[in-house]
Amino acid sequence: MYQWTRREDERLLTGKGRYVADIEVPDRLDAVFVRSKVGHGALRAVDCRAAREVLGVVGAWSAADLMDMPPCAHSAATLQDLPPVPHTVLAKLSSDEAVVGREWPALVKERVRYAGEAVAVVLGEDRYRAEDGAAEVTFQVDPLPAMVTPSAAAADSTLLFEGLSNIALRGEAGKPIEDKVWQDAAAVVEARYRQNLLMPTPMECRTILAVPEGDRLTVWSGHQMPHRLRRELAALLGWSQEQVRVVVPDTGGAFGSKSASFPEFVMVAFLAVKLRRPVRWIEDRLESMLVATRGRGQDQHARLAADADGRLLAYELHIDADVGAYPHLGVGLPMQTAWMATGAYCTPQVHATVRSILTNTMLTYPYRGAGRPEAVIALERSMDTMARRLGIDPAELRRRNFIPPESFPYTTPTGRTYDSGEYARALDLALETVEYDMWRAEQARRRTDPTAKPLGIGLSCYVERSGGEPGGLHEFGSIEVGTDGTITARCGAASSGQSHETVFPPLVAKTLGVDEQRVRLIEGDTDEQPQGLGSFASRTAQVTGAMLQHASQLVIEEAKQRAANLWDLPLEQVEWSDGTVHAAQDGSAAMDISELVKATGPLRVEDRFETGMEFPFGTHVAVAEVDPELGTVQLLKVVTVDDCGVVLNPDIVHAQAFGSALQGIGQALYEAIPYGDNGVPILANGLLDYLLPTYTELPPIEAKDTCTPSPSSPLGAKGAGESGCIGLPAAVVNAVVDALQPADCDLLQMPLTPDVVWRAARAPKLEEAR
Amino acid sequence: MKITLTVNGEEFPLDVEPRRILADVLREDCGLTGTHLGCEHGVCGACTVLVDGEAVRACLMLAVQCDGGSVRTVEGLTGSDGEPSALQRAFSTEHALQCGFCTPGFLMVAAGALEADSTLADHPERVDHIVGSNICRCTGYEPIRRAIMRAAQEQQQATT
Repeated sequence: MYQWTRREDERLLTGKGRYVADIEVPDRLDAVFVRSKVGHGALRAVDCRAAREVLGVVGAWSAADLMDMPPCAHSAATLQDLPPVPHTVLAKLSSDEAVVGREWPALVKERVRYAGEAVAVVLGEDRYRAEDGAAEVTFQVDPLPAMVTPSAAAADSTLLFEGLSNIALRGEAGKPIEDKVWQDAAAVVEARYRQNLLMPTPMECRTILAVPEGDRLTVWSGHQMPHRLRRELAALLGWSQEQVRVVVPDTGGAFGSKSASFPEFVMVAFLAVKLRRPVRWIEDRLESMLVATRGRGQDQHARLAADADGRLLAYELHIDADVGAYPHLGVGLPMQTAWMATGAYCTPQVHATVRSILTNTMLTYPYRGAGRPEAVIALERSMDTMARRLGIDPAELRRRNFIPPESFPYTTPTGRTYDSGEYARALDLALETVEYDMWRAEQARRRTDPTAKPLGIGLSCYVERSGGEPGGLHEFGSIEVGTDGTITARCGAASSGQSHETVFPPLVAKTLGVDEQRVRLIEGDTDEQPQGLGSFASRTAQVTGAMLQHASQLVIEEAKQRAANLWDLPLEQVEWSDGTVHAAQDGSAAMDISELVKATGPLRVEDRFETGMEFPFGTHVAVAEVDPELGTVQLLKVVTVDDCGVVLNPDIVHAQAFGSALQGIGQALYEAIPYGDNGVPILANGLLDYLLPTYTELPPIEAKDTCTPSPSSPLGAKGAGESGCIGLPAAVVNAVVDALQPADCDLLQMPLTPDVVWRAARAPKLEEAR
Repeated sequence: MKITLTVNGEEFPLDVEPRRILADVLREDCGLTGTHLGCEHGVCGACTVLVDGEAVRACLMLAVQCDGGSVRTVEGLTGSDGEPSALQRAFSTEHALQCGFCTPGFLMVAAGALEADSTLADHPERVDHIVGSNICRCTGYEPIRRAIMRAAQEQQQATT
């Protein structure tokens, strides 16, 4: 039989993968949502009557229809009103205070607050029929002024929620810096940075299938946090968690965008219970482009001070975050940027302030990198500007300010305690790999040749955070040994392409000393694994990996104890090796773990395991050639050096680093959601208008790594998979700035489209400005 | 409307509404869910299948347009002996997939090119065009390019 590289490969390469849309359930209905084409306005006169007459339509509801509906019997009796979408108070990344009075309804009741917000839902025997029905729903939205930028909304001239400010949260990290520090510094650089709103764009959009069975509901969803989804759906139904089972089958990518409950999920679960029929919603791409969560979305102001030798003195970052129309997890997410504002340097004073501002865009939410790219871009762009100001090579400026390896654990002025780092080593490897001196020489040559296209070299030295926030740094799981010799590991994680089935069984097998073919992994099923946190914040290798190693060790301890009892030996005389217990003194008594289980009964250990917060890091370098006439940017070479501690599977980590690098380039050069003044995204040609990188845009990327183990986890592994999105955008923009040398760096705001670059190429140069 | 599709060599007599797209009919009427819908407006290429040997976006074609035609999907790539094709093996070897959702589309556009062009391995620029025709959000494409090239080279070696 053919040996596939990953355990997932056989089914995914032969058409046998099973995603939610592939699951066939008898009597299933398809949900289609009727959506507002206006970004902000008062909703009037939703009329679903004509829709209900359409052949194959089973029902059509607006929020008003559901409020008027008499309570039904059965356990849905508690559902007289349509529940709001659950928000999270996950590890300080959101707050109840921000949400009070600003609940996100499952269907619009009175006010539309973002384009695409659902005003009605239609269920049909299939999607064609449900769409036929949706086309017959009529409604009116009386437009209100739409606010699509934080600055437009911060003035509170139009309120999204009557009586409440559009500013949902204010926060800070670090202490305010005295004016004197800035006045006395040899050099101060100041700039504004726009973190463009992005679409995470997993290739599979969001999915949910809810199947009622007796007094239980089974929910299939492409999701990152099945236990959270179970908890939130149970709460909105007024049910116990045991009555809801969430199963995550194959999931077509997530990148942070599939970890919440959404209005559509609430409706599907609610209607499946109400009608006692399976209901599903398979989001289509055009819907996703309107109403899937956004990433990034910050307007930043940064100020950096250094002495004449280039030693950093102070750094200040203010963030006005566009958190979208309702406060959800994204309202606290900019605090991640504030906490990570210090970066890789021993800057003595750092102060970051945040205003999370509600606007008429779709909600902002974690997207691969989630708060860390925004911190890295602001700081690393400022570092390059400082290097130019002082006339110091940007690599040298960074080297002079790195937190030295002997300083760890290092507590930053913004309140993070970094676990370990050898920042200079990653920088050195990146410079060597890219052939830094050769490119600097080529750049100098071109600057004397008026016919040559300008060339720039951009650096970015990043530090990120993996594992999660305090209170969310643990995972649950179990290991079960069968009498047939099979070993089953279970955990609360859920894969959306990260190869968990390939990575974790060998880890368990190695710890137990057994053949890896004996070990299988079950995850993404709340009936199999009663408690869990899920896969987000680059946490699965770090936290779930450590948990499974820990559980494997518990299996060994339990096996030794059982053998000692069986053989009537003191525990210390029983040893474990290669999946076998044996007596230390007398080699004659020996048993494979499966024989031991046959003799002593089923063996299943369950536990919870917690790691510390960890801080992966690295250096990314981009070499860019700019065509000032066309405004195009060609990346001649990209090097990423990442350090995520001990790597569990180098091929898989490398593959994720490579893929995330291209997503990072997407933010720097291509991707953005343009909004019209009416609050509607300008994406008339669908996905063609959202410039996802294709193979044509792929530059030569060399991905390397260094290894600085983390002391915060017994595996020494830090999180991986987000590095390219975090480190690379700043390197790419820095390279273009370095090529064009505009006097006003604020001109080069992401994405660096030909229009942006062409204008910057015509602006006064740094030399002319002096 | 009554039509007949031959999918992966098997004949499917079907009664379909004229408005139904080929991808939905393959997935729902034929039960072949390996073909995935990523955008439903012809941009991403996840739903690519071969119709009479030619790669098409199955979201942009009506099933009735394929009446009497021959369709190949990802389910038809595995050999009759159950062994994976060179292309499927190459995708696995090169880590040309992560979440696997776009993968059937890349496999089919590549399979069509490999069958139509026995000299594909000698023309890297043609492989570049194949990879550039679809969208993947996980891999960064280079592993997909290497996989198609590997399969092309293997095919060429087998025939020379």
